[in-house]
Amino acid sequence: MNVVVGIADMKVSNDPGAILVTHSLGSCIGLAVYDPVAKVGGMLHYMLPEGSLDSQKARERPFMFADTGIPRLFKACYQLGAEKKRMIVKVAGGSQVMDPTGRFNIGKRNYAALRKIFWKNNVLIDREDVGGNCNRTMWLRVDSGEVRLKISGRGYCTL
Amino acid sequence: MIDVSRVTKSIEGLPPFPDVVGRALHVLDDPQASVSELVSVVQYDPSITANVLKLCNSAYYGLSREVRSLREGLVLLGNAQLKDIILAGTVVKYLGKGTNGYDLAKGELWKHSVATGIFGRIIAKRLFEKEPPSLFTACLLHDIGKVVLDAFVDADFEQLRDLVSKGEHSFLEAEKEILGIDHAEIGAEVAQKWDFPAEIVQAIRMHHRPMDVSSDDVTTPVVYLANIFTVFLGIGVGRSGLFCRGHEDVMIRFGLDGKDIQDLLMNFYDEFNKVQDMLGLV
Repeated sequence: MNVVVGIADMKVSNDPGAILVTHSLGSCIGLAVYDPVAKVGGMLHYMLPEGSLDSQKARERPFMFADTGIPRLFKACYQLGAEKKRMIVKVAGGSQVMDPTGRFNIGKRNYAALRKIFWKNNVLIDREDVGGNCNRTMWLRVDSGEVRLKISGRGYCTL
Repeated sequence: MIDVSRVTKSIEGLPPFPDVVGRALHVLDDPQASVSELVSVVQYDPSITANVLKLCNSAYYGLSREVRSLREGLVLLGNAQLKDIILAGTVVKYLGKGTNGYDLAKGELWKHSVATGIFGRIIAKRLFEKEPPSLFTACLLHDIGKVVLDAFVDADFEQLRDLVSKGEHSFLEAEKEILGIDHAEIGAEVAQKWDFPAEIVQAIRMHHRPMDVSSDDVTTPVVYLANIFTVFLGIGVGRSGLFCRGHEDVMIRFGLDGKDIQDLLMNFYDEFNKVQDMLGLV
């Protein structure tokens, strides 16, 4: 059963029949985490790097931002029995338009925010497919932890 | 390269723009026209009336009481908004279908068009005292050319992909190079065939080349930004991905920086959640 993770949204599950999916990752980042022992998976689709842009919005919609969404994703997985040391972390998205000046570069900022948070919290990324000019859809199977991507112009692959 | 006339000829395959809608939009553009005139034009088209009532009563318009007739809708919403609603209910027939060449499932191009319309509104609110009158229509229709070009993109997709992946061409530029015409040009021809106002035809034609329009044209650069922001969010993007150009000049012209982009993206989200009824027209 597909469980759709919308834009600025997060879902976690320990249902072995569930497949978490997020469509339309452009400059947004899709973060899939999985504990293979507890068989708990979670996915976050955030739009922007920092909730300090608008603290009220960050309270109302924490999954819109990297710094308010990522900790909540991990905590929601822990509540289902996942443990930090076992977490497999996969990242996709952060694309950008063709812009040599960098003025439109939200994708890079989104990815930089994630790296900063992971660095501070000693989290390692196992696999990633980020940047470039493509559009991505991401699936996470809760029974196996397999992450699949559909990348515009390139087709399907396993991350 | 294929014969461009083959592409332009396929415009003829598009259903004509419904006459009754054309007349309704014309009446709505006329400040002297009365409510009765509009009602008399559209009353025999049940789909227009049904769409108007459905959208008038949707969360997006947030009216305090239920609208039960076209007449009430017009009184409560005013010409400009009623025009948007009638138009949205009409163009969804063209934009709602799936496309193979651009790899967009049913409803995806429509979602992209509505999202661009919402972004157009948000940007205009930020920049101008009054929204340019054709902006929402231009946003909704900016990619109408994709409907026509789709079959040709499908047939030559590998060539397009190879050219784009070299990194020198945007997807639009590759269309022009391989197919001889791009979706913006063909879209402008469709809008012209449908007798849309010149500023809408221009905004469709130039929505990837906003730096080439004169400074009195504010619609085109806003449609450009609205489209780019929709592409950032990956909404209805498909195979053409984020292979479009970021034109810094437009940002400079409107005095916008990176933080403004983030602000606009953030504000989009709540507005977009309100238009689910519009998206449900597919």
